[in-house]
Amino acid sequence: MSRITLDTVRKEFGSGGDKILAVEDVDLEIRDGEFLVLVGPSGCGKTTTLRCVAGLEDVTSGRITFGDRDVTGLRARERDVAMVFQNYALYPHMDVRRNLGFGLKLSTKLPAAEIDQQVEDVAEMLGIEELLGQKPKELSGGQQQRVALGRAIIRDPEAFLMDEPLSNLDAKLRSQMRTELQTLQHELDVTTVYVTHDQTEAMAMGDRIAVMNGGTLQQVGTAEEVYRDPVNEFVADFIGSPSINVFDATVDGARLDGPGEFSYHLSETDPVEGLRTVRVGIRPEDIQLVDNGIKLGVNVLEPMGNENFLYATLGEQEVTARIDPTNRPHPGESVSFAFDEAALYLFDPETGASLKTKRDGEVPTTPDSIPNREGVESTTGTGPDTGSNDDRMEETVE
Amino acid sequence: MREETRREAVWQFLTYGFILLGAVTTLVPLYWIFVASTLKESEFLSSTDPRLIPGDSFLGNFGALRARENVQFVGHVGEMTQYVDLGPVYFAYDFWNLWNMGAIESSIFIAGVYTILSLLLCSMAGFAFAKYEFRFKQPIFYAILATLILPIQLLVIPLFLLVSQIGLTNSYWAIILPWLANPLGIFLMRQNMRSIPDALLESARMDGATEFQLYYKIALPTMKSSLAALSIILFLFQWNLFLFPLVILDQGKYTIPVAINQLVGAQRVYYDQIMVAATLSIIPIFILFLFLQKQFVSGILAGSVKE
Repeated sequence: MSRITLDTVRKEFGSGGDKILAVEDVDLEIRDGEFLVLVGPSGCGKTTTLRCVAGLEDVTSGRITFGDRDVTGLRARERDVAMVFQNYALYPHMDVRRNLGFGLKLSTKLPAAEIDQQVEDVAEMLGIEELLGQKPKELSGGQQQRVALGRAIIRDPEAFLMDEPLSNLDAKLRSQMRTELQTLQHELDVTTVYVTHDQTEAMAMGDRIAVMNGGTLQQVGTAEEVYRDPVNEFVADFIGSPSINVFDATVDGARLDGPGEFSYHLSETDPVEGLRTVRVGIRPEDIQLVDNGIKLGVNVLEPMGNENFLYATLGEQEVTARIDPTNRPHPGESVSFAFDEAALYLFDPETGASLKTKRDGEVPTTPDSIPNREGVESTTGTGPDTGSNDDRMEETVE
Repeated sequence: MREETRREAVWQFLTYGFILLGAVTTLVPLYWIFVASTLKESEFLSSTDPRLIPGDSFLGNFGALRARENVQFVGHVGEMTQYVDLGPVYFAYDFWNLWNMGAIESSIFIAGVYTILSLLLCSMAGFAFAKYEFRFKQPIFYAILATLILPIQLLVIPLFLLVSQIGLTNSYWAIILPWLANPLGIFLMRQNMRSIPDALLESARMDGATEFQLYYKIALPTMKSSLAALSIILFLFQWNLFLFPLVILDQGKYTIPVAINQLVGAQRVYYDQIMVAATLSIIPIFILFLFLQKQFVSGILAGSVKE
């Protein structure tokens, strides 16, 4: 168990003119025993970063340390980390028992009986004792997943590295394994780096989340921090489902003019000082249908049971809203909405950097769709705001 | 609906008919060789009374084959009673020395040793080409593939010079070594090893495996059926080699194809003995295929479907 530090880690593939920069000067510290999730769209460099930590890729420059041990130049088998792969990578010709024991057999000098005992212990812990004699192809996806986990656990490594380990499971099993994984990680207290492209998974599982894009690290923080206080438009857009609505607006003093009828008077003009245009962001759950507000043309309504997703247009702009399940506007109808200024995000149109986020507004938080977990270091509340109805400003339309 | 079923039945009939025809054309000559080996020469060469029922002259023909002086088809072991007391190691040593190998044993020895060594070499090369990046990998691979088009006849002289310079003429190793790096074998192994997921090897690396352990603990066991298929191909290649052993080996060490060729004399061709020799030469291949046929079929199909 140890702290993992990445110090300006850079990874380029290819040479000469065909160089591809996969990871650009990433600085990241993963605390001892922490569950850190690397999340980002495909091709963002998250898997490459993980593979650099694993020792499966050499870094082009920079340093990786485990605790005080510099492992940058070490090979994978010298680093004492275990990895769980997306397709599990179980050895097809070995039964579960040998799959589990393989790492111990190669990396330790333990006697066969001792290895066998450990295999049994781990199998019991994961509830796969009765599968020990079977070959991987005879197992279901969930069972294979457990064996892959067991293979990592049994080696008692300094860190677990997981590369989208749940993405091959069906939705129900995935959420079950998600919980199991978290429980297991807490029990074992092993530093874990978990790669996923699924932001819901990232928010649900990570003690902290590291959002990557285009090879660079965008932001590291708790689920709540990256959700409420994203550093830029990319993070705001990537985290949260459905995605935040973002559109251009022109700035005229304190007034923002956007697509369609969108016009809004800011009570606080500091964020847009000196700007002619600004990118405006509103989370779907912060859109509140009111009798008298900004007009939206309803396109589609998706009933989810506990809530409804409303897809509508604001001028030319597509807008998504999460609304009350009892509220069922019909396609083609027109509805009005309002929102709370505290819930408004503003981004610099050129750099994408955040000018104003939810945190600035200090909106009271309610734990709702994003579960809070033990060990999350939260600073302002127990969970992100996902639909607080307090302090809504309704008379915002000019 | 009924029209469709009927059309399907006709297709099935035609398909199986075609397969049957192919099987018959392949098997009839083999069967005829077997029948001929059990008949007197005059019986199976008769143009008026062609025979397709086995007779009882096999042992007679076989006896005539064994009695030949210019070819020793089946070997024999010399007198060795006096060595029996010296323990198993000496016994084995003397047995080896006193064993006068015939063409069948020579062929089995050469093809067997060749198959094992070549499997090792081809699988290692295939593994390297499939799973490692190194400088000039593509050009080297294509150069190896290009050697497939060189006919053996072209290679015989340079190879003969090569083996004679390293002092290997008239030795079994002279037949085995030059063909070890079999381009077809390397190609096959490379194609099949590409189907091993990288994650599998990386997982083993993380588990602490060395590069060589990746090869023999992960790659080789997962390639069992491809190895079985390749072993039949390699064994047959060496089994059927004719010109090269003819040039390299002396009479006492002849392999089966060369030995059979000796039965074609200046005055007459000993068809009866040729038939016996041919029948015998099929048996080892038959046994090999019997053992490996399941793996052979799945090995040939391996890598053809992406999973």
